[in-house]
Amino acid sequence: MSTRHTSLYWLQCGGCGGDTMSLLGIESPDLAEMLDLLDVELLWHPSLSNGSPGEHRALVERLLSGEQQLDVLCVEGAIIRGPGGTGMYDTMFGRPKKDLVAGLARRAGVVVAVGTCAAFGGISGDGEVEATGAQFTKREEGGFLGKAFRARSGLSVINLPGCPVQGEVVAGTLAAAINGAPLPLNRYHMPLEWYGMLVHQGCTRNEYHEYRVEEHDFGEKGCMFFFLGCYGPLAYGPCNKILWNRRSSKTRVGVPCFGCTRPDFPMPEPFFKTRNIEGVPLVVPEGVDRAHYLAYKGMAAAAAPQRLRNRENRV
Amino acid sequence: MAERMTLNVPLNRVEGDLELRVELESGVVADAWSSGTMYRGFERLLVGRGALDGLVITPRICGICTTSHLTAAALALDMVAGVQPPPDAVRIRNVALMAEHIQSDVRHGVLMFMPDFTNPAYRAQPLYEEAVRRYRPLKGEAAIEVIKETKRVLEIVAILGGQWPHSSYMVPGGIVSVPGTSDLLQCRQLLQRYRGWYERRILGCTVERWLEVHTASDLAAWLDEREAHRSSELGFYLRFARAIGLHKLGRGHGHFLSYGSLELPEGTQVRGRKGGDTLVPAGFARGTQVDGFEQEQIAEHVAHSWYVDYAGGKHPFEGETRPYATGQESKKYSWAKAPRYDGLPAETGPLAEMVIAGHPLFTDLVARDGPNVFVRELARLARPTELIPAMEAWLAETTGDGKFYVSPGEVVEGTGFGLTQAGRGALGHWVKIENQKIAHYQIITPTAWNASPRDSDGVRGPWEEALIGTQVKDVANPVELGHVVRSFDACLVCTVHAASRGRSLGEATF
Repeated sequence: MSTRHTSLYWLQCGGCGGDTMSLLGIESPDLAEMLDLLDVELLWHPSLSNGSPGEHRALVERLLSGEQQLDVLCVEGAIIRGPGGTGMYDTMFGRPKKDLVAGLARRAGVVVAVGTCAAFGGISGDGEVEATGAQFTKREEGGFLGKAFRARSGLSVINLPGCPVQGEVVAGTLAAAINGAPLPLNRYHMPLEWYGMLVHQGCTRNEYHEYRVEEHDFGEKGCMFFFLGCYGPLAYGPCNKILWNRRSSKTRVGVPCFGCTRPDFPMPEPFFKTRNIEGVPLVVPEGVDRAHYLAYKGMAAAAAPQRLRNRENRV
Repeated sequence: MAERMTLNVPLNRVEGDLELRVELESGVVADAWSSGTMYRGFERLLVGRGALDGLVITPRICGICTTSHLTAAALALDMVAGVQPPPDAVRIRNVALMAEHIQSDVRHGVLMFMPDFTNPAYRAQPLYEEAVRRYRPLKGEAAIEVIKETKRVLEIVAILGGQWPHSSYMVPGGIVSVPGTSDLLQCRQLLQRYRGWYERRILGCTVERWLEVHTASDLAAWLDEREAHRSSELGFYLRFARAIGLHKLGRGHGHFLSYGSLELPEGTQVRGRKGGDTLVPAGFARGTQVDGFEQEQIAEHVAHSWYVDYAGGKHPFEGETRPYATGQESKKYSWAKAPRYDGLPAETGPLAEMVIAGHPLFTDLVARDGPNVFVRELARLARPTELIPAMEAWLAETTGDGKFYVSPGEVVEGTGFGLTQAGRGALGHWVKIENQKIAHYQIITPTAWNASPRDSDGVRGPWEEALIGTQVKDVANPVELGHVVRSFDACLVCTVHAASRGRSLGEATF
């Protein structure tokens, strides 16, 4: 680690602030402790900082000119380009925030897209405001900064999708980046450390899934993949490894996963419903052959023990 | 001749970006305009989606009021489906929403409002050093503790609903989760722990002692009674706010609105202050004169908003959201519509709830000084005292592994609305479902009420009106304007660009 502070600037664009709320929820270390431990100098965060706008504007000018070194740039929310490509739907200091993103990204050692909106456009990307992710538009590489973009360190934008992303993932990414630890990424620039597993993995309903004991309506104990629209086996993320608020996850309490880490979130099909062919999901888990899956699930259902059929197992 | 000057005040933060323009005459605000400068198009994005999709999409409008949007969306779908959730589902829905409120109220006070006390404008105040010690961002003693403690009470929402923010565990007919006895016990312990901390650090006394404070003179006596009262965050707030005259700032129209919230489940021991079927009563008040509430009386105007014009106001079931950006060329100046109740603007939030519920202390304070910055923020800091005892009762009354859901079957078509109180005040969703799809979705947020632009008759919105008469001592640092806007829980970091006769006067901060 370098001997000087690591400077961090946090920019909020078109989003809801939920990723910041999620980050405020981390513990051991909590947010203030984590910044201390990593020796981060938080130059600016719109929800937390108290500097005057005059100071803030001067800081931004120093960052843009390179006079103030920028080690880490965190972008939260989609980059809004409307109307008509002007970016004037979302401005700071009277200029489009999108221009600020471009200028700061050029100077930054590392650029982190925090949350699905910043990474891929997310819900904001479905509106009329011409919003996009930092280096992707949904599944298409390029996004706002372009496919060729590399930060000063040589890294592409690091995408931390999730609506919101778990604060621990943001904290872990910052720790890795600041310590110079390797952080291998998948094709959507998501760190394998957290997005190398499906949301399904670690779900307490896994045994129900295993034997195809499925929920047909809310509040039954069972797996929600076949009928209730759960994207757990179709979305990458650590929701069932790093528990939410240290306690639980949506799928554990019976809320289907909505696939919010996916580049195409929110998918156009109705939530809470699985598209089916003859009672089997139209989309089977990634990389699985459909015919084999049908045969496996048929046998699994036949082998289901009575305690699961009777929903005796807790979840 | 009085010197005239215009201040442009761009505000950014979570609920969409906002900008204020104020006209000063001899340093006093003579007129004000509040502009929502961001359009995200949520309502149009929902049309054509699946019937239940509002439960997933609308919580993501706001990372702070996420459970409030979920509540409104679920209540609207309960009505569409014609289903009454079982009593224990009502209890758990309520408890999760209240957990969101009691953390948000404290975070707003200590992390958003009180940092203004560290503004250099107050350097000469005897309490200034102490304010810096308490409220400096990420470093102040109170700021650090609030970050530590408020996140823990949100664990209640995670136990009951999977995660905070942005879960979707409320559905028409109840909730999807089936909390067990030990889940409920853990929630009770988390709440008990939070109550202990809130009493010690924020209040300086027990909730029960606070509830004995009924009048302005009781409040003065309470402050002098013990050192613990004076040194609590609330006690410090009382001393600092009085010293800088917050009770003289931000009066406004004096109209209050509450949709009512937190349905009393069948068989509960909990009672609202006014009886009725909700813990937080619905009502509309002129000053302390409280009347009933009829949702039919709500209408939205767009005469000064960037939407295609229509005459007068439209009820949200008839409302439309058709963007029409005219820029600065016409009288339109905001992406926010102008909601009106019975044709009148109204402020909403914790103070409105207190006045409409007939809370003796807040009724007395408003009767004496009218609404103002001081009493608005005090109501927010004290609101957990109205909620915590009911949360405890509802958690204790709930049967673990009991009945939390009644299936309404497929939600095919119908019309419904969901009205609740978010942390910042009245929140409503109006929904029409046709062929299992959303045909119409209109949302009115609390900030739409508070930050409303002018209506068809040219009448100002609540915080526009509240800014009138504010004396700005230093145009380079108009901290007073920040107090007024923040007292509505606008939750904004504010930039001020001051200009006089086209010349820039420089930058300043609240």
